[in-house]
Amino acid sequence: MLTYLRKRILSSALPLVVVIVGVFALARLTGNPATLYLPLNATEQMRADFTARMGLDQPLLVQMADYFGGVLRLDFGESLRTGESAAAMALRAFPATLQLAATTMVLAIILAVIVGCWAALKPNGVADRISSFVSMAAASIPDFWLAIVGIWIFAITLGWLPTSGVNGSEAWVLPIATLLLRPFGVLVQIVRGAMVSALSEPYIKLARSKGAGDVRIVTHHALRNAAAPALTVAGDLTVGLVNGAVVVETIFGWPGIGKLMIDSILQRDFAVLQAAVLLTAVAIFVLNILIDLGYALLDARVRPATVKA
Amino acid sequence: MMSSLRTQGQFALRLSAVAAGGTLLLSGCSVANSESAGGATAASSDTIRVVLQQEPPTLEPCEANLTSTGVVDRSTITEPLIERNPTSGELEPKLATEWESKDNKAWTLTLREGVKFHDGSDFTAEDAAATIERAVNSKLGCNVEGYVFGDQDLDVKAVNDTTLQVTAQEADPILPLRLSFLEVVPAETSDTEKVREPIGTGPYQLEQWDAGQKITLARFDGYWGEKPAYAKAEYQWRAESSVRAAMITSGEADIATGLSPEDNIGDLGVSYPNNETVALRMHSDTAPFNDIRIRQAVNYAIDKEGIVASLYGGRDKVAAQLVPSGVVGHNESLQAWPFDLEKAKQLVAEAKADGVDTSAQIDMVVRSAQFPKIEELGQVLQEQLTQAGLNVKLQMLETSQHLTYQVRPFAKSDGALMLMTQHGNQAGDAAFTVDQYMRTDGAQSAFGTPELDALIKKADAATGEDRQKAFEEVFSYQNDKVVQFAHIAHQTGMIGKAAGVNYQPNSSTGDELRLAEMTPAS
Repeated sequence: MLTYLRKRILSSALPLVVVIVGVFALARLTGNPATLYLPLNATEQMRADFTARMGLDQPLLVQMADYFGGVLRLDFGESLRTGESAAAMALRAFPATLQLAATTMVLAIILAVIVGCWAALKPNGVADRISSFVSMAAASIPDFWLAIVGIWIFAITLGWLPTSGVNGSEAWVLPIATLLLRPFGVLVQIVRGAMVSALSEPYIKLARSKGAGDVRIVTHHALRNAAAPALTVAGDLTVGLVNGAVVVETIFGWPGIGKLMIDSILQRDFAVLQAAVLLTAVAIFVLNILIDLGYALLDARVRPATVKA
Repeated sequence: MMSSLRTQGQFALRLSAVAAGGTLLLSGCSVANSESAGGATAASSDTIRVVLQQEPPTLEPCEANLTSTGVVDRSTITEPLIERNPTSGELEPKLATEWESKDNKAWTLTLREGVKFHDGSDFTAEDAAATIERAVNSKLGCNVEGYVFGDQDLDVKAVNDTTLQVTAQEADPILPLRLSFLEVVPAETSDTEKVREPIGTGPYQLEQWDAGQKITLARFDGYWGEKPAYAKAEYQWRAESSVRAAMITSGEADIATGLSPEDNIGDLGVSYPNNETVALRMHSDTAPFNDIRIRQAVNYAIDKEGIVASLYGGRDKVAAQLVPSGVVGHNESLQAWPFDLEKAKQLVAEAKADGVDTSAQIDMVVRSAQFPKIEELGQVLQEQLTQAGLNVKLQMLETSQHLTYQVRPFAKSDGALMLMTQHGNQAGDAAFTVDQYMRTDGAQSAFGTPELDALIKKADAATGEDRQKAFEEVFSYQNDKVVQFAHIAHQTGMIGKAAGVNYQPNSSTGDELRLAEMTPAS
């Protein structure tokens, strides 16, 4: 298992370097931030001073070497906009996104498994049709629309929930409900499909013939085999959320990494952008390893040989 | 049966375990690193809750000329020496009680006694001098330096505790106005690093800044002036204006900035003239704008009354110049160009007959989301200019790209450049407009004429009634002889205000939201 992990880490190092270089280069292609940060009537001299102060007058390779040196010392530089350490800003925003993503995915998976299994027990039955309609709708509704309508109904009309913000458990309901719907819709379809095919396998017939009830068949036999495709899709969906739920973060004033990245792109705040992207890339890389380990737990066939040792 | 029951029990158990995991994740229910967990602040009569468009990037006082910083700092946490009354336009004493100069070059300011900083230290001329040194003469790169003083350094001297001497390099009749942009900080404030959390003399002091979430201020008990009504203030920020409006309707906030009529909050929305003017700037270096008749045609072709009525609900005012009334130099007698499509067509035809390539492409560069309905405005203008026989291509750009066309050196465009600009003169003196927008080498001026430059130079040096007259002449000369601009409208802003608060917004509300002027409605 350790060998496997070591291999995975080594093979992921290259993509990380590509990400670092890519973000560095692309950010600088968007132009000099001096115009954004200085008053519009700034003189040429003031622009030159600014560029020199920020080290942006150095050749690109020198800047990149500085940046890499910094990354190795875990020093990502300072934000042009706030003057704070870029790493601190990224590290502050990331847990907010992670909490949102984790809660959303746990709830989405639980709900999708329940609804998906229920629908798969009687394909084309009433439950199946209802769940199919609901899940298709859930997967197709645009989140910005849902968020605004949610605020209008639950915060303004009914007054049950706050419009936005992060204080108190009520404030979590609307952002999570908004984020939850799409992964839930997609996962219901996947779980249902996988369960329908698992339930038609010969070993299920055998289990039934031995007198096992629906619940035991679903939980002990079929679900385990249907879990792998669901895990793949759930993994992808989680990666999407960890990247930052920009729309939800913007509307609900959620101080997450997605909003931070968008703001730092618009504000040409290179240091913050680089720190945020690198942190997200590392998180996604860890997440992918966890998903792979999840496979290994579910299915002996993909377990590396060394596990047995 | 027995076995099935057992498994059902187990299944339920597992389910509840997973659900418990979910609730565990939820149970924290406060975002990581939030120190102030707990319920949302309930409406309370001694806290004023404000929701802004964005989190202040910093509260550094020498950047308080930036809206996002100044809206929290100015006249709330920090104070200037001299303050401009946004309604009358007059300069009023703040931390300085008097100021005078014999030659408009060396100014002597008498400072207020008995003023304390939030850290308990006394305010003296040393602090005032250090503030000016730090913001204007240091290597700090303060935004206010370039914005108000350009490259000019000032010679500053604290004569005694209450007397300050400020000397400009050249005669500067509006030096006191420039000084009104400087927020005073204690002499000990670092002049090599910017500070995010300032100490000032204002009626409120910074209590806590939960980055990403909110800023809390508390009333400063040692304040020299009148005690403000609210004991605490809380700022939050939401990017979506509909959410800010919803926070007013739902009672989560008392004041919301940057709303527009589309947010539909009825009586809770209060509009005010915000000093912003929208105009099109035409670059005369290529055809067809190299002919003044085309630039005049553009002015005739735009139905300004129609635009204000249909897009802006009749609240904005049709503009004839870049500054609204209330700014020194505003020319009351100037009339907006009438909407006359036939005249526009005729001018285009005349120019064409004289060999001007009137079919040349015009790139109309517009900044996305700069103000409400800007996309629609761009489309309407494109259509109206097309009617006049011009070939206009609309380009919507994000801020940073738009800026490359807005300020010198201008980025190259495929066709003739026409830029939509929104100009706010918050200083109240036309010098802050014309130096930038109309001088041949102005940072935001596409072209000028030597005659206009001479008029501007004369106006910049004038004082009193002469100054007003000289700038009036500058504005009328631009409309008659230069025609770099097609003015569209003087805009209005809107804030949301809960019924429980008394506050009257004015033209500076967007830049400086004076909490001390807010009182509970009883």
